[in-house]
Amino acid sequence: MGGLNASLLIASQALQTMQGAIGATSNNIANANTPGYTREVPQFTESPLSQNGNVVIGGGVNLTGLQSVRDQLLSLQIQNQTSLQSSADTQSSILQQVETNFTTTGGDITSALSAFSSSLVRLSANPLSSAVQQGVISSGQNLARAFNTTSNALTSAQAGADTQVTQTVAQINTLTKQIAQLNGQVAQLTAAGKDTGTTQDQRDELVQQLSKLTGLSVMQTSEGETITTGNGTPLVIGNQSFTLQTTTGGDGMQHVLDYGGNDITASIKEGQLGGSIELRDQVIPGFLTQLDSLASEFTTSFNAAQAQGFDSKGNAGQSFFSVPASGAAAGMSVTISDPALVAISSDGSEGSNGNVANLSAALTAPLPSGQSVSQAYAYLVDQVGTAASDAKTQSTAIGQNLLQLNNQQGSVSGVSIDEETTNLIRFQTAYQAAARVVSTIQQLNSVTINMIS
Amino acid sequence: MIETVVQDRNRKLAEYLQLLRLMAFELDRAMKAMVQNSLTALEDSVANQQVFSDRLGELADDLSRPASERPVPSAPDADRGLTDQISAASDALQNLNRRYSALLKHSSHSVALMVSLFSSFQGQMQEDSGPRLKQQTWSCQI
Repeated sequence: MGGLNASLLIASQALQTMQGAIGATSNNIANANTPGYTREVPQFTESPLSQNGNVVIGGGVNLTGLQSVRDQLLSLQIQNQTSLQSSADTQSSILQQVETNFTTTGGDITSALSAFSSSLVRLSANPLSSAVQQGVISSGQNLARAFNTTSNALTSAQAGADTQVTQTVAQINTLTKQIAQLNGQVAQLTAAGKDTGTTQDQRDELVQQLSKLTGLSVMQTSEGETITTGNGTPLVIGNQSFTLQTTTGGDGMQHVLDYGGNDITASIKEGQLGGSIELRDQVIPGFLTQLDSLASEFTTSFNAAQAQGFDSKGNAGQSFFSVPASGAAAGMSVTISDPALVAISSDGSEGSNGNVANLSAALTAPLPSGQSVSQAYAYLVDQVGTAASDAKTQSTAIGQNLLQLNNQQGSVSGVSIDEETTNLIRFQTAYQAAARVVSTIQQLNSVTINMIS
Repeated sequence: MIETVVQDRNRKLAEYLQLLRLMAFELDRAMKAMVQNSLTALEDSVANQQVFSDRLGELADDLSRPASERPVPSAPDADRGLTDQISAASDALQNLNRRYSALLKHSSHSVALMVSLFSSFQGQMQEDSGPRLKQQTWSCQI
C-alpha cells in the first residue's frame, strides 16, 4: 500500500501509540517522588517506508514497549559505595561509644594513674601514716578498676558487634529471599512480553538495601540477576536465594556460614556485616591486646619495685597487683589489703621511705614496650580516637561520592518535573500552530474541488 | 499565448500537487513526532506545515480565480491526469487531516490536563538533587 492512503493507517496506528506514550509520561510524573523509581521511555519501531512517485511516506510507528532508563555502571558504583559507607558508619557508631571510655572522666585510666602517683608522693612525705598507706592501696584499687572498666567496655562493644552479625545475617536472608522472588517475576513478565520496569525498580531498591548490609557483586546473567558476596558466595541466582547461617565458633563469636556450611566470616567485607566483623575480630581485639599488655607490663614493673623494698613489718615486699595470664586488664586487681604490706622501706628500718622512689619510678620508667605506662596508655587513647575519627571521615567522604553518584543517577533515571512542564508548554504551542494548519487544510478542500472542476 | 497560459497553469497545478504530497508527508511526520514525544521534530514539522499551508493558499487563490479574471477567457483543460492526481491527493489529505486533527485534540487535551495539574501544585519542588531528596516534594490536586 502506497501513497496518501497509507497515511490513513499510519494515523490510526499513531492514535493508539499515542495512548501508550502519554501513559508512560503520566506514570513518570506520578512517580516523580517515588524512591528508586526509574523513568520509563516509550520504545517505538518504525514500519517500512513506502514510496509514491518521488514522495516517500513513512510506514508509521508502533509502540513496542516501555524501557526503564537505567545506568548499570552507576548502580554498581552506588552499591559499592553504599557498602563502604555502611561499613564505616557501623564502625564509627561503635567506636564513638568506645571512645567515651578513654576520655578523662575521673574513673578513666589516666585519672587513676595520676591519683595513684599522687598517693605515692604523699606516702614519701608521710611513710608512717597508716591512712596515707591505705590511700596508696585505695588508689591502686581504683587504677585496677579503671583497667577492668576499660577492658569491659571494649569487650561489651565487641559483644555488640557480635550481636549485630547475627541480626544482619537475618536481614540479609530476608532481602535475598524477596529479591529472588522479584527475579522470578521479572522473568515471567519478560516471557509474557510485559513491562518489567516497576518490578525491576522494586528489585533495585532491595539490592540497594542489601548493599548496606554487605559488600556485593551483582551480575546480569541468563537466569536474571545473580548476586554474590564480594568473595563470590552466592546469595541470589535467578529466582533462588541462598541462605546464610550463623553458628557459635570456637572463639565464642558468631561465625557466618554459607549455604553449604562453609565458614565465610573472614572473607566478608564491607557493609554493616563486614564492618561489624572487622570491628569485632580485628579492631577491638587489637585495642584489647594493647590494654592487656599495658596492664601486664605495668603490674610486673610495679611488683618488681615492691619486691625491692620492705613492708612495715620488715618483710620483703610482696606483689601489689595481680593479673591473670589471659585478659590481664579485665582481671587486674590489688592483692594486698593491709596498709602495712606496702613496701615503703628500702632497708627494712622503720620510718624509711627509700623504696617509695622505686615504686614511683614504676609509673614513669619505660616498660618493656619502650614507653612509660602513661605514654603507652596515651598512645592507645590516640589510636582509639584516630580509628573513630577515621571511620567518621571515611563515611563523610563516601557520603560525598554517593551524593554525586545519586545525583548522576537522578539525572539519568529520575523524573524532572521542571523539564516535563517546559516540554508540555512547548507541546501546547506546537499543537496550537498545528491546529491552525488543520483548519487551513480543511478550507483548502472546497477550493481544490472548484479549482480542478 | 494560450499554450503559455496552459503551461503556466499546469506548472502551478504540479506544484500544488507536490505541496499536497509534502503536506501529507509532514502530517505523517508530525504524528510520529507526537507519539514519540519528540518535541523538536514536531516543532520542525509544524514550521514546514505553515510554509506549505501558506504556499498552498496562494496557489489555490491563483488557480481558482474566476475564468473572467484569467488572462485567457477559455483556457483549455489542464492535464487531465494531473487534476485526477490532485483530486485523489486532496481527498487523501483531507482524510489524513481528520486523523491528524483527532490526534491533536486528543494530545492537546492530555497536555492541557497535565499543565493544569502542575499549575494546581502549591508545594515546593526539589529537583536535580538525587532521588532521595524527591521523597516528600510533590503532590497535586485535581
